[in-house]
Amino acid sequence: MSSDPTFLGTVEDVSGASIRVKLAQGTVSGLSFIEGQSYRVGQVGGFVRIPLGFVNLYGVISQVGASAVPERLVEIEQHGNRWMTIQLVGEGHPVSGFERGISQFPTVGDSAHIVTEFDLRTIYGRPNDRRFVQVGRLASASSIPALVEIDKLVTRHSAVVGTTGSGKSTTVAGILTALSDGGNYPSARILVIDIHGEYGKALADRAAIFRINPDANKGEHPLYIPYWAMTLDELLPVTFGPIENGGDRGAVIDRITELKLAALQQTQRPGVSPDTLSVDTPVPFCIHKLWFDLHCEMRATHYEKQGQPQTRQTWALEKDANGKPVQTGDVLRGIPPRFLPAKDNKDDPEKIRLSRSNLGVGRSVDALGSKLRDPRFDFLLRPGPYLPDENGAVNQDLDTLLAGWLGDTRPITILDLSGSPPMIQSELVGSVLRIVYDALFWARNIPEGGRERPLLIVLEEAHAYLDPKQIASVAVRRIAKEGRKYGIGMMLVSQRPAEIDQTILSQCGTIFALRLSNSIDRNHIKSAASDNLEGLFAMLPVLRTGEAVIVGEAVNLPVRTLIDRPSTRRRPDSTDPKVVVSGSEAQGYESPGGWNQRRDPADYAEAVELWRRQNPRSNRVHTDMHPKTDMPEVKGGEE
Amino acid sequence: MKRQSISSSNIAEVGYDENSRVLEVQFTSGIVYQYFDVPPQIYAEMMQAGSAGQYLNANIKGNFRYARV
Repeated sequence: MSSDPTFLGTVEDVSGASIRVKLAQGTVSGLSFIEGQSYRVGQVGGFVRIPLGFVNLYGVISQVGASAVPERLVEIEQHGNRWMTIQLVGEGHPVSGFERGISQFPTVGDSAHIVTEFDLRTIYGRPNDRRFVQVGRLASASSIPALVEIDKLVTRHSAVVGTTGSGKSTTVAGILTALSDGGNYPSARILVIDIHGEYGKALADRAAIFRINPDANKGEHPLYIPYWAMTLDELLPVTFGPIENGGDRGAVIDRITELKLAALQQTQRPGVSPDTLSVDTPVPFCIHKLWFDLHCEMRATHYEKQGQPQTRQTWALEKDANGKPVQTGDVLRGIPPRFLPAKDNKDDPEKIRLSRSNLGVGRSVDALGSKLRDPRFDFLLRPGPYLPDENGAVNQDLDTLLAGWLGDTRPITILDLSGSPPMIQSELVGSVLRIVYDALFWARNIPEGGRERPLLIVLEEAHAYLDPKQIASVAVRRIAKEGRKYGIGMMLVSQRPAEIDQTILSQCGTIFALRLSNSIDRNHIKSAASDNLEGLFAMLPVLRTGEAVIVGEAVNLPVRTLIDRPSTRRRPDSTDPKVVVSGSEAQGYESPGGWNQRRDPADYAEAVELWRRQNPRSNRVHTDMHPKTDMPEVKGGEE
Repeated sequence: MKRQSISSSNIAEVGYDENSRVLEVQFTSGIVYQYFDVPPQIYAEMMQAGSAGQYLNANIKGNFRYARV
């Protein structure tokens, strides 16, 4: 046995999938050479093979040394540090190849071996199989590609976690680049929710970009999220604000339903009839009219005439010298009529009374009014061609919206929410995801649905809107639990996994864990991971930039991987600014800024202009009329 | 804008648009900057200069406004 150079030691203790191996006396820890390749013996995260007849069991080393000694032997074993704890993960059959899961356990005395490159190839080597995508190379053996099974990656959900600067965005850009390769996957369908506008540049030629302030020169599309496609629970927080009183809420529901019904009678919409219509049915209605009517009901003052009810005829409008109303209001522009203040003087026969409405939604209606007039909410409340007129008629219906988001000719769609008010970000993400989910859920039997053409939703900076209390987590939880059946998968990307709802995180079948130094975050991830691999996660704080531990369903074995860096052109726009740039006065510097260069004359007027315009792109930047299609790859060291 | 690659330790490619007088520079890091209102002779001098990086640092930096693209 000991003549076999791969021999490590013997199995001494088996408890479930966790086994203890005692290193043989002759095993030298350190470097070992097998068939011309060097291997490190007893590295945490390394693999071990245990042959059992025709079958090979494979496991990952999670502990080495004194702490791996079984408790009862601590006293006896004076030099008891030659132990390893191994977590079994799968077995290799001579015919069917590697499979996860264990059908038989090793027993005391079985030998454990180093996994050589040849063995790794039988586990990982699936060249040119389109079911797998290469995300990088094994950190322990750089000649072997780290492959991820796309089926499991997409439908069983995944999470990419890592501290800022650990290479998260680059990892995601790399995966997306591989998945959107038109040659292999001409019908790939990926939706990226990008709240910082990072990915537009990296994926420009493969993605349709929807942005609140679109750059038409670059072929970007305006992003609209029509308010009338939202459910009541999504609509209220972004318009009226919360309405606690059950009676008031009911009244608002009734008003919206009435408006939707009226609109439906004007324009037939296949699939919905007056009998099936509810407040949540995605049918256009005019929120401006809703606001105007409610505003007048709450805020109008009325001339009092004996016993007459308060109606539009009794309105006490403010009038100018000619007896014409100063401001009668404008429904679609969100301008209210101006009413006279209430008065009740003893000597004056003319009495003006406040509204006697029994609704208590005055403040909520005012909040809605100010949002209707706020241009930052235009993408939501004045959504271009999806804006209903007073009768609820729209130029374009949801089919155009869905065709843009889900059916573009390009494989990736980026919804860039970077210009949206941060207060309502969670609600927006929630609505977008719910709209997409509903559409694909109901279309599950037709070619547009998720079963025939599955969708991968990438949620960038997920911690910002997936707090358990926030509304987006409702939609995401639904996708996490049910999405698998209807072909809707998601990839969470976050630097603060501890702030993400645990229910959501535990549904992520595959985890790409990059460097993660915060222990709370690490524990959160550890408890969410499906594999029982304490030791592997213990090395998260010491991973190099761009190095990831991939565990879960999409990989055969948990692997420590060096993620392939996409070419310079394909890196997301999140690289940190350099404070001190390299170069010298004589030779020039690598970029125009930095603390160690002399200062440029400043013009803060332009800074203010850009701030006011809410667009970081300088007006002076020259763009070609035709968007660049595919520029040649930029190679390093090009002359 | 068409950029042509040049031999320099810091600069990968340079392009110039005569109508808008915009000079576009891609540094070796891959990041592209545009300098505005650059006269054609400055561009010509830069292309002639022994070291484009040094010329940029000496004559363009501080004299013309720029923006990252």
